[in-house]
Amino acid sequence: MSVLAMPRLRVPSPLALGGTLLAVIVAATLVGIFVTPYDPTAFSVRVRLQPPSLLHPFGTDEFGRDVLSRVLAGGHLSLATGFGAMLISLFVGVPLGLIAAFHRGIVQEVIMRAVDLLIALPPVLLGLLVLAVTPPGLGKTIAAVGLVYIPILVRLTRAVALGLLEEDFVQAARARGEGAIPILWHEILPNAWPPIIVECGLRVTFAILLGSALSFLGLGPQPPASEWGLMIAEGRDFLTQAPWVCLAPGLCLCVLLVSVNLVGEGLREKLDPQLRGRAHG
Amino acid sequence: MVDAALHVEGLSVAYATRAGWLKALDGVSLSIPPGGVLGLVGESGSGKSTVVLALLGLLGPSARVDAQRLDFDGHDLLHNAASIRGRRVGVVFQDAAASLNPALTIGTQVIEPMRTHLHTERRAAWTRGTELLDEMGIPRPAEVMHSYPHQLSGGMKQRVGIATALASEPDLLLLDEPTTALDVTIEAQILSLLDELRKRRNLAMLLVSHNLGIVDRLCDSVSVLYAGRLAESGTTSAVLHHPRHPYTKGLLAALPRPDRPHAGRLAPIPGGLPDLHTLDPGCNFRPRCAFAAEGCEQPQTSHGADHTVSCHRVEEVADLSWPIEAAPTATVSTKRTALPLLEAETMSARFDSGGWLARLLGKAGGVLAVDRVSLSIRTGEVVGLVGESGCGKSTLGRLLLRLLPARTGTLRFGGGVVEAQADRDFRRRAQVVFQNPDTSLNPRQTVSVILQRAVQWFAMAHGTAAVAAEIDRLLDLVRLPRHYASRYPHQLSGGEKQRVGIARALASRPEFLVCDEAVSALDVSVQAAILNLLRDLRDELGVAYLFISHDIGVIAHIADRVAVMYHGTIVEEGPVEDVLHPPYHPYTELLLSSVPLIGKGRRPSPAQSTTAAKPVTGGCKFAARCSRRVGQICDSVTPPLQQAGPGHTILCHIPLLELAAMPHWLGQQALSEEPTP
Amino acid sequence: MHMAAFLLKRIAGLLGVLLGMSVLIFGIVHILPGNVAYAILGEFASPAAIATLEAKLGLNDPLPVQYWRWLSAMLQGDFGMSLVMSRPAAPLIAEALGRSALLAGFSFALIAAGGIALGLYAATHHGRTSDKVLTLAQFVLIAVPEFFWAILAVLFFASWMNLLPATGYAPMSSGVASWAAHLVLPVMVLSFGLVAHVSRLTRSSMLEVLDSRYVLAARARGLPEGRVLWRHALPNALLPAITVLAIDAGLLIGGIVVVETVFAYPGLGRLLVFAIERHDLPLLQVGMMVVTAVYAVANLIAELLYAMLNPRIRVAGATA
Repeated sequence: MSVLAMPRLRVPSPLALGGTLLAVIVAATLVGIFVTPYDPTAFSVRVRLQPPSLLHPFGTDEFGRDVLSRVLAGGHLSLATGFGAMLISLFVGVPLGLIAAFHRGIVQEVIMRAVDLLIALPPVLLGLLVLAVTPPGLGKTIAAVGLVYIPILVRLTRAVALGLLEEDFVQAARARGEGAIPILWHEILPNAWPPIIVECGLRVTFAILLGSALSFLGLGPQPPASEWGLMIAEGRDFLTQAPWVCLAPGLCLCVLLVSVNLVGEGLREKLDPQLRGRAHG
Repeated sequence: MVDAALHVEGLSVAYATRAGWLKALDGVSLSIPPGGVLGLVGESGSGKSTVVLALLGLLGPSARVDAQRLDFDGHDLLHNAASIRGRRVGVVFQDAAASLNPALTIGTQVIEPMRTHLHTERRAAWTRGTELLDEMGIPRPAEVMHSYPHQLSGGMKQRVGIATALASEPDLLLLDEPTTALDVTIEAQILSLLDELRKRRNLAMLLVSHNLGIVDRLCDSVSVLYAGRLAESGTTSAVLHHPRHPYTKGLLAALPRPDRPHAGRLAPIPGGLPDLHTLDPGCNFRPRCAFAAEGCEQPQTSHGADHTVSCHRVEEVADLSWPIEAAPTATVSTKRTALPLLEAETMSARFDSGGWLARLLGKAGGVLAVDRVSLSIRTGEVVGLVGESGCGKSTLGRLLLRLLPARTGTLRFGGGVVEAQADRDFRRRAQVVFQNPDTSLNPRQTVSVILQRAVQWFAMAHGTAAVAAEIDRLLDLVRLPRHYASRYPHQLSGGEKQRVGIARALASRPEFLVCDEAVSALDVSVQAAILNLLRDLRDELGVAYLFISHDIGVIAHIADRVAVMYHGTIVEEGPVEDVLHPPYHPYTELLLSSVPLIGKGRRPSPAQSTTAAKPVTGGCKFAARCSRRVGQICDSVTPPLQQAGPGHTILCHIPLLELAAMPHWLGQQALSEEPTP
Repeated sequence: MHMAAFLLKRIAGLLGVLLGMSVLIFGIVHILPGNVAYAILGEFASPAAIATLEAKLGLNDPLPVQYWRWLSAMLQGDFGMSLVMSRPAAPLIAEALGRSALLAGFSFALIAAGGIALGLYAATHHGRTSDKVLTLAQFVLIAVPEFFWAILAVLFFASWMNLLPATGYAPMSSGVASWAAHLVLPVMVLSFGLVAHVSRLTRSSMLEVLDSRYVLAARARGLPEGRVLWRHALPNALLPAITVLAIDAGLLIGGIVVVETVFAYPGLGRLLVFAIERHDLPLLQVGMMVVTAVYAVANLIAELLYAMLNPRIRVAGATA
């Protein structure tokens, strides 16, 4: 009994740790849109490929631009891809999933076959295909990545909603003669959002990964933008002489992804009924 | 060493939880002689399954196990259960479907213990396994050996479960709720199989169950467990027929029984289980006990030698029976009329398999869940609908509420026809109460929101104050404290949730309620309170019920009339007293004689075929299982609806006179030996 | 359902998906803003040049006609010409596909074997230090993009240690050692994240199985722990792993595109990126169709494997 009475070593929860990290990154990159130590686009031939120093903590690139300033100025692009794509798939996928759950028959059939089709294409390829035929840009990257994850949210939402429609409290609402909209609003959605939020948390990580991979391939924001994937691609030519040009945005990207991942994991622990059930039972 | 095979003394088990140690068992002592059968009885949360896992040494790392003595035939189970687990001690778990590995054949799982413990050569083990399945009454055992669990029915899976437990020739069989998941007819078969096995093999058994009837049927002695402590132990007839501990008295008084239809009000046990994180040094049943008095807060010692009772007032309460819950004073006279409130005519429901494309092509398969059923219910009348799982009784309930599309038939309510798309007036007048209290309430709404939604939807009250007053009225109606309005479902007990579900159904002041297994998920002591409540509400409000249940005791207690359903058809319908007596349908006879009843003693299992064959179309659906088949006519011709008495109909080919000559299911001696709880 | 009927239904589904995909790919390439001829010639091309090219490519015909021409040619084995390289697309793609298959094959074997093994190890050592270390490692591995792994790997193994070639591909004819050396880094980089993904999900499915009633029942029968783990738990835990591997095959294809670009590995992924960069739309269309077909077949195999290993699908019907 004494063992349990002892105060346990307090490990910060994934949600708190990830949330704090993410807040710091978001704040830094938001400020970075307007204010950076140096002008992120200003060339300076004299300080080309300088290693990290007090003046340039992350060093300089092949045009003498301050890498720290560029990282700060470009971070919001990765964040925008991640969260923007998630929002697109959320706002398109969830309604479609609900419609497919309520309208059995031809409407459901059309939605679900379209979903099957989109899922049959590996994620990066769907992004590539969309970006291949239009001039690249941030908005299109976000749209392409969002499109990739719509089918996943449609399937998830439909499955969750179909499960809830069988629940007795929904049957009780049907026995009162309530229509689709009040049932959806009062009974289904309040219970459906936890798994959807958990999925969205996971999707942000994947969206940032996919978005940065597309930028890395040159299909995202174009130079002189300093999207992190793009910076890594540009720094590759000087990898041996000046590894910091790649490593700085790369490590920042990793920290961002780990923090988003932590938040997603924390949300899952908090909201996943299966995990919750296990903790109590 | 005494003659006991299993000897347990002072067994205590505690689980580490976030809130501290949860004391699941506190000083439990049991003993079973060789070949003896002990029943361990308790409601959910009593710790009875923990006893089984403790005997097997399978409690896991989060449990702390203590005992003065825990041994089987000289083997120390406390420290070394693994040495004889599966070898000398076999176990059968409740859920046979979950206890068999879905990826392995039946044969593999049956011969495993032989291969491991007896080192039987593979081919010999396979032969022995086939014999074993045969002994368990499994048809075509050689074929079943090569099957996978999903290919077997629930009853067959449980027979396989027993076979695997017996494969290594154990001396003690632990049975953890072995028939709880099964239909009553299958339960009867499994019970007589177990009874046979103990005689043939001189097996000792520990039967863990919440069902007092099956314990009475199978066991020599009984121990009653309450919240981790033994309340009472003794021979079966002593404990179950002449209970001495208040808790045992309460349990028996709360039980609705088919041999006593309409036996007045039941006697529920108020309150719920104590918090097991803090041990009560005194009697832990004290807060719920009707006989609690001075001295109950002191540690209780067991009284008696053969019949031990852990209560210091045992002599004082010996002649008292558990008090019946008082009826509410404000009972309005019942308004029952002869006019039908609800009339269903030849209603059918079909469940299609296959997608819309298959349906379009006319290739969809499906089952006729309800087959041209006609039923009428009068104002203020309670009609019980009884049948085995999958017989279509829930589907019929939903058809009558127009919650499912009907294939055929018409529905009349209050004189008017109810269209397939029911109007709001019908919705207001016909409501439903569900089985599972955990899923029938929206977990994200408070009680007040749940009730308010129903009140506002039917415009039963306008304005905040009026709605709040209406919510208070509903909570009063189901005898819940008004401050419960601010609680969420997870803050309520099972019985309280069910009361909220009833209040929600009553919000629109309906005239008709479908109660779909409304008390089946509850413990006996709580179930009695809900049954009393439903009866009171019927008397107060004049509501008619369709009361769906698989439990004939519950139906006999609450219903005025009963409909017996088999495979989508009502095979018998009539007043409760008539249906419980011959003449009855052979299926009714089977159901009734399958019910394990306290005081009925050990009767042979009812005759029936072990294979639940799919009914043929055209003839009587029950023909394949019927022990009283007349002949070919049963398979080919739809049986006639025979009038057995006023309002009593039987769907059968057998002439009424012959049906009337059937023996009464209670039998002669059991009737004379009326137990006194 | 009979296995044959199951197979037929799945193959019909596969063909349906491929047909739908051909419409989708063709549609996106031709409908989205960004005229094909402009895309090829650049935005400063003269109207005359554009008209000539459009006539040459048959771009003035209605889209369904163009689509049908493309599809029927493809069905007859004519995969068209690469515009930029002026060579038939089929051999280009076949050669690149072979090299990519090499990469994918090795990586997939590593992912399946490594991921499942690590997942099972973690599940059977649940709660111990080794499990916690693995969980933490998986967490980080999943969060690092492939192209950054590639950069790190090149920096470490090629630039600093000088152990392995940084880029390129060597045919078998130039020696097995050189051939293998060129494969090590791409395979490693491709596998890291997905090994973590597979092991994480295998761990959780194994833990769920170990928590099941039938594993408890097997232990209660006194079976040795080894038999409980390998005979009772493993087959049930592996079923979800198959589904995960099928999903990961899609992620692997995406990874290949990136990794081939970083390592200048002349496979199908790099060919696709080349086609995009140079607006070689005919090559892009056909390349996409080939990748989709490969992925669809991989999914079909996974589904069949699942059905074969799952008695609930394989053996239908009731015996008693």
